[in-house]
Amino acid sequence: MKDTLVLTQRALREALRTPEAVIPTLFIPLFFLVVNVGQAGKIFPGSSTAFLHGQGYAGFQLPSSLLLGASFGSAAMFLVEDIEGGYFDRLRAAPISRIALVLSRLLAESVKALVLTSAMVAISLLFGVRIASGIGGFLLILLLNGSWAVVYAGFMQLIALRTRSGAATQSGGLVFFPLLFLTPSFVPRDMLTRPMEIAASCNPVTYIMEGLRTLVLGDVDWGSVGLAFAVVGGLGVVMLFLNVRMIRSYD
Amino acid sequence: MTWAVEATGLRKTYPAKDGEVEAVRGVDLHVRTGEVFGFLGPNGAGKSTTVRMLTTLLTITGGTASVAGVDVAKDPDGVRRKIGVALQEAGLDPRQTGRELLTLQARLFGNSTAEAKDIAQVQLELVDLVEAGDHRVKGYSGGMKRRLDLASALVHEPEVLFLDEPTTGLDPASRLTIWDEVRRINGHGTTVFLTTQYLEEADQLCDRLAIIDGGRIVLEGTPADLKADLRRRKGLTADPTLDDVFLDATGRTRTKVAGEVAEVQA
Ligand SMILES: Nc1ncnc2c1ncn2[C@@H]1O[C@H](COP(=O)(O)OP(=O)(O)OP(=O)(O)O)[C@@H](O)[C@H]1O
Ligand SMILES: [Mg+2]
Repeated sequence: MKDTLVLTQRALREALRTPEAVIPTLFIPLFFLVVNVGQAGKIFPGSSTAFLHGQGYAGFQLPSSLLLGASFGSAAMFLVEDIEGGYFDRLRAAPISRIALVLSRLLAESVKALVLTSAMVAISLLFGVRIASGIGGFLLILLLNGSWAVVYAGFMQLIALRTRSGAATQSGGLVFFPLLFLTPSFVPRDMLTRPMEIAASCNPVTYIMEGLRTLVLGDVDWGSVGLAFAVVGGLGVVMLFLNVRMIRSYD
Repeated sequence: MTWAVEATGLRKTYPAKDGEVEAVRGVDLHVRTGEVFGFLGPNGAGKSTTVRMLTTLLTITGGTASVAGVDVAKDPDGVRRKIGVALQEAGLDPRQTGRELLTLQARLFGNSTAEAKDIAQVQLELVDLVEAGDHRVKGYSGGMKRRLDLASALVHEPEVLFLDEPTTGLDPASRLTIWDEVRRINGHGTTVFLTTQYLEEADQLCDRLAIIDGGRIVLEGTPADLKADLRRRKGLTADPTLDDVFLDATGRTRTKVAGEVAEVQA
């Protein structure tokens, strides 16, 4: 456990020293938030749109942006650099648990996501978004989004460990397009066209988005929140298992 | 006696597009505790593959190996505690400072933060990197990186130190610094297992050496014995150099090599 923390610290130090890799993970989601609200805000006025529960459209869009911010998987790119640069072998030659090697980067990723999510929520408050579920709800939003960051980084790390190539890992990151856009990101699921609704219902991110959304907009639907945690928890366990298996057989 | 490194029938096959590559084909090794052992061979002979197996970084396809009396396949963590490793590609993180890297390394070998900081300071002094210690590794020269890499292999005072081509790509002065360092480490009782392309390096540093070619050991002994042996066999009037021993053992005679070069030029 101590090894995991020592390595997590190192991963965080690395993030602080590469602001060029971290800053876009804040600004790109904010950009999408502003643009999407600018495009569709007038179609869905808060006063007369039932699914907004009295908030502006920005409240509805915030969860998509939070998820986007947690789906950069920069941990995997740093891991590939470790592998290509030989430092990963130095770490592998140390008498530490193989689990610490994969877990430390995922933990660092969750810390990054917590900071990023807090910053984005704070900024969106300035634009009139309210977190209707209060402080407790905010903490659940942090936990949910932080967990999604771990799942996504875990997936990217699998690609990194398998291919050991920066280019391949970057291409693997393209799955974030279907994951984040085959979702009810502009309107609730029941307003999507039928094929889109089917696609969205098959996409686990949909349920996380809906969980986040109900925590932001109010009239919290605890069933959705529970489902979101179940989905992210289940995926988290699978990713952790696959990562551990991959690192054990790493040659 | 327990050997510092003992291997029997060590084999490694890599999966390849058309079947398999047999990189190491039944290597036997007996390295004595306290000696500097040289592992020589031409490019692609299997040196790095052997080192990576002995240092737990690569699974062993066949045969057995133990280092400092610990079985590599059965107790890899046990081996890791006893060995220091500096591979052909220096294993450094460009975004950390030299001091941070050494401190982290010492922490991973079970030291407290305070202990680790002390160890880092001592190692920086030993490899003459105190001033550079608080700069990021990214800006280090090749020689500084090599020295830092060596230092990070030593934070836990290993019993056996593996060095894979520690001086390749270094200028003559940096090379001498590394040689001095190897002698100092060995002087404290650490066994050194060293691969190299430089015959002079082997001649200067090694108590005994083995030459590997095509994944098999083709010759083994002390530098002096190997030279004397070749002299006797060839009926030479003067002692041959280790270069001659190497070329003879790997079936590459001087005339053959010269001939090949001439062909390339033609
Ligand atoms: N990961 C790998 N996959 C497939 N083949 C490999 C791999 N690593 C090495 N080989 C092959 O195994 C053989 C031995 O390689 P190795 O790196 O052990 O040689 P070496 O003696 O260290 O050479 P050099 O002096 O160039 O470092 C070579 O033919 C090489 O092409
Ligand atoms: Mg090599």
